[in-house]
Order: sequence, then C-alpha cells, then structure tokens
Amino acid sequence: MTTNTIVKNSGRMDAVITWPSVPVEIVRAAGLRPTMVRGAPEGTTVTPVADMHLELGIFPSRLRNLVDAALTGRLDSAACIIVPRTSDPDYKTFLYLREFERRGIARSLPPIILFDLLQSEGPDVRTYDAARMMALFEHLASIAGRQPSLDDLRLEIERANAARSAVRRLVELRHVVPRIKGAEVLPLLAAFWLLPPNEFSHLAAEAIDDVVQRPPLDGPRVLLAGAPVDGPSLHATIESHGAIVVEEVGPWGSAAGGEDVDCSGDPMLALADKYRRDAIGPRTPIGPLRHSISRMLENIDAVVVSIPSEDTAFGWDYPTLRDLLAVRRIPHTCLSGDPCGPWTRSDHDRLDMLVGAAETRHA
Amino acid sequence: MPEKQLGATFAASAFQKQWFANLRRRVFDERQPYALVQADVPFELFDLMDIPAVSNQWWAAIVAAKRQAPAYLDAMSSDGYHDGLCRYCSLGYASTRYRNVQEPPWGGLPTPRLLCARLTCDCIHRVFSLWAEAFGSELFEIDHPGAGELPPRWWELGRHRWRELVEPHRLTFVASTLQRLVERLEAISGRRFEREALRQRMEMVNQQEEVFDAVRRLIATAPEAPVRMTEQISNVMATQWVRGTEWALAHAIAFHDEVKHRVERGIAACPGERARLMWVGAGLWHDTDFYTAFERSHGAVFVWSMYLAFGPDGYIRYGLDDPMAALASRTASFNEYLHNPPWAAEWIVQQARDHRIDGALVLRPRSMKPAATGRLFIERALEEAGVAVLPIEGDVVDARGWDAAAARAAVQTFLETRVIS
Repeated sequence: MTTNTIVKNSGRMDAVITWPSVPVEIVRAAGLRPTMVRGAPEGTTVTPVADMHLELGIFPSRLRNLVDAALTGRLDSAACIIVPRTSDPDYKTFLYLREFERRGIARSLPPIILFDLLQSEGPDVRTYDAARMMALFEHLASIAGRQPSLDDLRLEIERANAARSAVRRLVELRHVVPRIKGAEVLPLLAAFWLLPPNEFSHLAAEAIDDVVQRPPLDGPRVLLAGAPVDGPSLHATIESHGAIVVEEVGPWGSAAGGEDVDCSGDPMLALADKYRRDAIGPRTPIGPLRHSISRMLENIDAVVVSIPSEDTAFGWDYPTLRDLLAVRRIPHTCLSGDPCGPWTRSDHDRLDMLVGAAETRHA
Repeated sequence: MPEKQLGATFAASAFQKQWFANLRRRVFDERQPYALVQADVPFELFDLMDIPAVSNQWWAAIVAAKRQAPAYLDAMSSDGYHDGLCRYCSLGYASTRYRNVQEPPWGGLPTPRLLCARLTCDCIHRVFSLWAEAFGSELFEIDHPGAGELPPRWWELGRHRWRELVEPHRLTFVASTLQRLVERLEAISGRRFEREALRQRMEMVNQQEEVFDAVRRLIATAPEAPVRMTEQISNVMATQWVRGTEWALAHAIAFHDEVKHRVERGIAACPGERARLMWVGAGLWHDTDFYTAFERSHGAVFVWSMYLAFGPDGYIRYGLDDPMAALASRTASFNEYLHNPPWAAEWIVQQARDHRIDGALVLRPRSMKPAATGRLFIERALEEAGVAVLPIEGDVVDARGWDAAAARAAVQTFLETRVIS
C-alpha cells in the first residue's frame, strides 16, 4: 500500500505516521488507527505541489507524497499526522507542515504531532523517551476523545506481542531453508504496522500454513543492507536474477516485530526501551546496527547495499561493511537508485554479476 | 585570500595560529588533554575545565582555505564514501583517516582525549563515531531533541525570556546532558567544576556579544559598509571559539573600536558602494576571494553573514541564576535558528531590512543536505520583502565541483539585472 492509497482512505480515526518508529500500541490504545506512509515507485505518482515547497534530493518519496497529500487537502479528514524525530527529513517535514499551516499554504491540516524519540545512548535518554511516550498517549487520547488507562495500553502491548510472535514464525520460513521469496514476504511482514494485531496474527497464521507446505527455494541467499526500503520493488528486482532475499535491514521486513515488549512493569518505559533500541533509521546508533548486521551475515551468500541519492547516514557505514564482507568473503554490490525503482541496465548488470558470484559460494 | 583592511584581522589570524601551536605543544610536550568538538557545543564548559576545544568546522575551514580539501575528499571517495555525504562535517575526519595523503595544515590535529558533538543532522553520530574510532578516543554525544513549539521572532525572546524559547522538557534534557558532560570533563581534567565560574563566564560572553551587537549596528547604519564580511568573520570567529575569555573580550573591543574609527572617518570597505549584499549560509571557505570579487567592478559589497549577526542574537542570555539552564537554552536550538522554518527565514529577513540589503546570495549546499532545508522558505521570504535573491550552488569546503568563473559570471548578471539596474 503506498502513501497515496493510504491517504485516499484516511478517515477521522486515522493517525497518519511517517515512519514505523512510532509505537503503534500507544496509537491503538488511544483509540486511533495507525496508517503508515510509504514510498511509491517513480513514475507511478507525481507530487507537483510538494515539489514547489520541498528542496530536491533531501526528502524521500514517502515524505514528498505525504506533503503533497497534505497540501492538496487529502489529509484533511485524518485524525492527526505523527512525525517521529528518528530522521532529519522527518523532523524537517514536521517543521515544514507547521509552517505551511501557519502561512496558510495548507488549507486545513489535522493536528501535526512531533514524536521526539531519541536514540542515543545517554543516561537521560530513557526517561526522556518515556515522557515523550506518555505525552503522545495523552495527546492522541484527547484527539480521539477518550480516556484510556495504562491497562488499556498493556492490552494493546499484549496484542502487538502476539502479532510479533506471528512475525517471528513467518521470518523462520525465510531463514536457513527459505520457502518464500523476499518480495512476497515483505508485504506480509510490513502488514504488522498496518493491520490490527488480531487480524495480522490471523492472516499470518494462514500464510504460514500455506508457505510451510511449499518446497524449499533454491538460490543464493541475499541480505539487503544500506538504507531501509519500504516496499518490495528492490527485493523483486534482485530475485528476478535468481537470488532469494532472506533478510533486510529496516523496519518493514524481518525486523518488523522484533522482540516482545515486557509490560509487567511501567509500560511507557518498556515501550521507550523497545522503540529506542529497535527503531531502524538514520539515527540508529552505529554499534548495535553493526552488531545486528554481523549476525545477519551468518547465513548469507551475498549482500546488496542500497544507498539512494538522498542518503545522509547509511553511506557512512559502507566501508566498514565492505571490509567485514571482504573478511568473510561474501560478495556484494551497491545500488544508488531509488529503491522503489526503476532500475537501470547497469543495476541489472551489477546484480547479474553478484548473483553469479553468490551462486558459486552457495554451491 | 582578499587583502586585510583592519589591524584587528591580522591580530585575530595571528592569535589563532599561536593558539593552535600552543595546543600542539600542550598535547605533545605536556601530555595535556584537548577536545575535538562540533561548532555548536558549549565551548565555555571545556575552557572552564582547562581542556582546550578545537572546532570541527574551524579546522575544516582551515583545511579548505589551504586548498587541501580535494585530496582528502578524493581519498574519501576512493574509500567508498559516496559523494552525497556531508563534506563540511567530515573533512576533519578525512584529514585524520587519510593522514598519509598530504601534510595537514599547521602540523595537523593531535589525538584528542575526547570528541563531543550535538546530534543535529543524521550524519553527526556516524561521522564522530568513525572519527573517535580513528583516533581511539572517547566520544560524548549531546542529543538534539526536536522543537515542537517555535514562537515567532526568537531573537527578541532569547536575551531575557530564553525559558520561553525552549520547551521545558527539552531545556531540562539538554541541561542534564550538559551536566553529564561536565562530569566527564571533571574526570578527564581532574578539576572541579564551579557553577559560579560558569555564571561569570557567561556574563563575559554577554559582554563580548554586546560589543559585537554594537559592531553590527555600526555596519548596518554606516552610509557605506566599514568592514568587509570576510574580516567580520575572521574577527568574530577567532573570539567565538574562546568566547568569554579576557582575550576574546579585549579583541572584540579592539575590533569594535577600529570599526567605529573607520565609520567616524568615513572609511569604507569599498568606497563608492553601490550595492549591499548578504550571504546566507556557511562560508565558501575554499574561495573567500569570491566575497570581494564584485567590489571593483560593481561597487557591490558583502555586508552581512550570519557569523557576526548570530552572536548577539543567539548567545546573549540575561538572568543567569541557573547558568546551566541558560547555556542549555542557547545550545538546544542552534539548527532551528539558522536553518529551519519559521525561525531562519524571519530572522534573515529582519537582518536584511536592518542592513539595507539590496541582494541576497543564498547557498544551496551540495552535500550538506540538512543545512539545505529551509532554503526555499528563506529565498521566498527575502523576495517577498523586496530583496533580490540569487541561489548559489556549491560546497563550503569541497572545491572540486566549484566553477569559480561561472559563479562570478552569474553574480555579475544578477547584479546588473536585479540589483543595480
């Protein structure tokens, strides 16, 4: 589902969210429906109004689409727009939207909320994030006209944990002996952020029942690293060369659920810990990210590193990753186009060569 | 470099070179610690703990001005860092990682005991983490909570009503982080932090910035600009890195007195001034001649940049009962003041009016993407205020893609068609 699909359908209970680093448990407990914006393939959507106001090469497709929708009245009926602080383009989008509203450039926007989740490792960050969680909870509840309790929040955490469990079972079918392609499983995993948890768990169980009957897939196993992708286009392109994407860095695939949130204590602190640690984006600390990528490499034949032109962060990780791959003798290639596509002849040539090298290793 | 017109500028340059030489001597001969920091961290805390602090941006500007940036940046590209990554904040790192490429200016950066950065743009954590790894040094990060409320005309609130400028939760967080920084600096230096000393230092900073405020008024109101923008920057920035010290205040006063003397004598930076220009953005450190290139041909003088103007508006804090909170209120919102809507545009328009600006050149930074945001708001606000705008695409330290002749030709056309006609 692209941003445009979401905004067309957005209603007065929809909280439009720019990146999955906003705790969906809080949104749901407050009585709203989280709807995440995502990028659209180049050529499938145009953003002429946003293009008049957003500098080029800075804002990814998902944010250009969101701003275009906001400036053309397509978000008027949403309950609110929540923008997390987990990337600079997101933060700037928040400031821009507020300015469009102040200057009358946007006719009528729903409340625009900055969710100021910090991800650094200082001792004051944890309590700061927990307080921001509580502020978000109260703000959303006032928008929804409800007075939810912390027990309501615990219930939503438990539901989300059940959905996380389903994500983990689905992910197992990608690893070691993959039975489902990346392009097929990514939308299923991404639905963790989009569907009510009970519905997600039910659909995931159906998918698992189906996939587990399938024969194992043969082909080199690829990790998609670099800047997170929010759609299956790049997975499909890689897989069109005969490889299988079994893992990716980012919140939309295998890492959608992550570990459960322990809600036996203070649920705000628990959510603060979970999202600070697990939210993947340009401000994710370099140490934990390196550690998790290193772990992902254990069962991988090749790596595709996607670094689109607007990247300001993940490109800094590349030489270290390249050196690590050299030590482990894992072939890799870099792609610099929009991860939503389209792909050039040169991109396909690179993937061809990579998959050829990976097949040797796989064999 | 353009010729210097003020004696204070020679003194500022000599001070910086000597300061850096002293730093190297202290580090190498006396094994004293020093810190390598982003330009927007509170230098006062380091100086009070007797830990000299070198600004990353200052060092990058030195490397670029010595025409050494291309070799380091080529090495960076060859190593796999893509060309869209920020060069301004990473040139210093490149000069460390690729130290074998060439002999760095003034003997190069010694190994710091500590690196410290505010996590403003997304790249800062990564650049400083890599740099700390390259040195084998400790990194202290000051996270940057986002501003949810930005009251209008920030520069009118900053001096006396600074608590209203930063939301309480952000102010508390930043003050608390600065306190942790102090604890690290105490551990490194073996000295004890004194709150009263910080209050006194900030009072000195206030005095220094009041002097710069007077200089700014002189420049804004004089019939013709008495001092070039490049010399404003040299004098202001030499003191900003050691702000609140006796030398800084004395130098600010000396600079002020020389500018005042020039105004009283009717001495102009460019006699026969026909157009007053402002530069919006960080300086083009690899081509500072650019800023004087239109004086002789068009009588066009760069009168304003943020470097002088931001000091009085951004740094002065009155009411220092809680000096750490006051310091935090200044630290918390640097980027919002200078780059983001609504604050950057409304401040720059006000500055353009105060300085009777005829034309504004707005930097479109090639690689500093977060600093490039807010630019369209600024350009439109200036045009709406009647100030002609020319966007200039370039990188502040990376000269490799800079076509000096084409840029000068574009400015000439702009002056002839939109400013002087």
